[in-house]
Amino acid sequence: MNASPNQQTTEEVAGIARWRFALVMAVFGCLLAAVLVRLVMLHTIDQPFLFEQGEKRTVRQEVQPAMRGMITDRFGKPLAVSAPVVNLWINPQQVNIQQLPLAAKDLGLPAAQLVKKMERAASEGRSFVYLKRQAEPELARRVLDHRIAGIYGEDDFRRFYPAAEVTAHTVGIVNIDGKGQEGLELAFDEYLQGQEGSRQVVKDLYGNVIKQLQVNAVATPGQTLALTLDLRLQYLAYRELKAAVAQHHAQSGSAVLLDARTGDVLALVGQPSYNPNNRAGLRAEHMRNRAVADVIEPGSTMKPFTVAAALQSGRFSPSTEINTSPGYVRVKNKTIRDHRDYGVLDITGVITKSSNVGVTYLSRELGADNMWDFLSKAGIGQASVLGFPGEAVGSLPYPEQLDALRLATVSYGYGLSVSPLQLAHAYTAFTQKGCIRPVRLIKANSSDENCQRVMSEKVARQVLNMLETVTGKGGTGTRARVDGYRVGGKTGTAHKVGRQGYEDSEYTAVFAGVAPISDPELVLVVVVDAPQGKEYYGGEVAAPVFSRIMEQALRLRQVAPDDGKVPTLQMAGGPA
Amino acid sequence: MAQGVVSLLLWVAVVASALAQVGVVQWHRDLLQVWHLEDARRAGLQQDYTRLLLEKGALTAHGRIDQLARKELKMTEPEQVQVLPE
Repeated sequence: MNASPNQQTTEEVAGIARWRFALVMAVFGCLLAAVLVRLVMLHTIDQPFLFEQGEKRTVRQEVQPAMRGMITDRFGKPLAVSAPVVNLWINPQQVNIQQLPLAAKDLGLPAAQLVKKMERAASEGRSFVYLKRQAEPELARRVLDHRIAGIYGEDDFRRFYPAAEVTAHTVGIVNIDGKGQEGLELAFDEYLQGQEGSRQVVKDLYGNVIKQLQVNAVATPGQTLALTLDLRLQYLAYRELKAAVAQHHAQSGSAVLLDARTGDVLALVGQPSYNPNNRAGLRAEHMRNRAVADVIEPGSTMKPFTVAAALQSGRFSPSTEINTSPGYVRVKNKTIRDHRDYGVLDITGVITKSSNVGVTYLSRELGADNMWDFLSKAGIGQASVLGFPGEAVGSLPYPEQLDALRLATVSYGYGLSVSPLQLAHAYTAFTQKGCIRPVRLIKANSSDENCQRVMSEKVARQVLNMLETVTGKGGTGTRARVDGYRVGGKTGTAHKVGRQGYEDSEYTAVFAGVAPISDPELVLVVVVDAPQGKEYYGGEVAAPVFSRIMEQALRLRQVAPDDGKVPTLQMAGGPA
Repeated sequence: MAQGVVSLLLWVAVVASALAQVGVVQWHRDLLQVWHLEDARRAGLQQDYTRLLLEKGALTAHGRIDQLARKELKMTEPEQVQVLPE
């Protein structure tokens, strides 16, 4: 080996190495600079964008639904309850199509159809499709336990109505989003609703919450709404009304049961009704709360008010005699008729026999102003203060609109309109010793002592005694009697209004009554609309319903019999 | 010298707070986990409660009790004069 070439090569090598080394170092230096620049850029210029993107992938705004408050009857029995359920939803972009049939099987859906639907949704670029709304929690758990990618559950509440069609009209209904649509659910929507909670959380890939960043609102459940209804009375009123409407093939019917002392609504039922738990096949005409929203011409059930107004004027007493012969009277160009010529009747007899001629005479003596004043004080044509959506106000013509004929018709209940609830409310004027309190559907802790004086206590008592004669011998409402109790009331049969004025063969049968007469406890109004068949009088159609409801209601409320002829219970071989 | 002590102390404080930060985050997550479990338990109980409430409502419905009393217990409404069998 020679040293010189060796040395030369070393020199050459060293020379090459030096610039190569510099090159490599320079390249590395550049790379490092590039990385540094990039780093600085990411941390300064791109930082807000990246931060936002990062948050979008991990931070979630979570909404916690608030539980809607219960609606209960006066004893706390549930009428509307919210139960937790789960909404299952799919993100079609993420879902594993092969696993879908598993979920479909659990939910009882046709698998092929579901797969096709999801494929279409995915191709349309949608990222949210409900799989099943308001699934029972157990079912939802089963579906979610398959851990299929892209299927999620979200907490929700579903409304259940344990008494179903019995309380449907009063309680109302919510839509699928839990917003009140009808009845009290609508009227007290805000009160029942509560406050949704919302918070910001960090979630991992699997949707587990790993960090809670911020709580914006804590979920507060809605408040419980206690009604004055008594579910037992509501049930039996509904049953009897339904049977009567079916028996007479009537179009509709309603019944209102009030506490005679306080004006609390104990039962408020209507026919036809609907099942609020099953929204399929809901029909608008079934959802109408006929006891509150429909107006009727009260017919003869108004006569006690004409008579009370006459007694209150001080010019008449229950024994004042009126000559109703010859059984008809001409007012302007109309003839007002009685069933037959009743001859001379005292004022009690006018009520017992339901004489149109008698009350026409009384109203003429009283004059329009007095009549109007009296009726409006009793709440006729005035808004009842239930705060119920679609509540009818009814109508009462002003005194200046009341000419002789209209005054006469008003005296026997035509030419004015009331809802069944208003009629029942007006009758509490007699049972509350002449002083009327607003009707209540929402249970109040304190009893309202303010009342509106309609008539003196003496007149109220006199009219009650007259009402009792209606169910007595020779009265029009004998079928309203209840064994063991003194019952009073008034029948009413009004011609329905059709296209050409009053229809000849369409009627509304009404019975409004009170029991027991000695110390009234309950006021009940029964309305059966357009009964078909041979029976259509209030005394034939509505009075028997009144009797059946009243009998059971008095027993349930443990009201002592007051007719004085009830023997004590005899026991054979009972304990000594 | 004094400066050295201060910076050492600061350094120790920084390390301690960093460790505490890690610990607190872990604690937060643990608490969150506990809260989650309790919340799930609450939801479960609420579910049971409403179910039982509905069940009770259905079982004590006036119509049902009325039917049972009449059919199974052979109860009737008291009449005005009634002789009760022994």
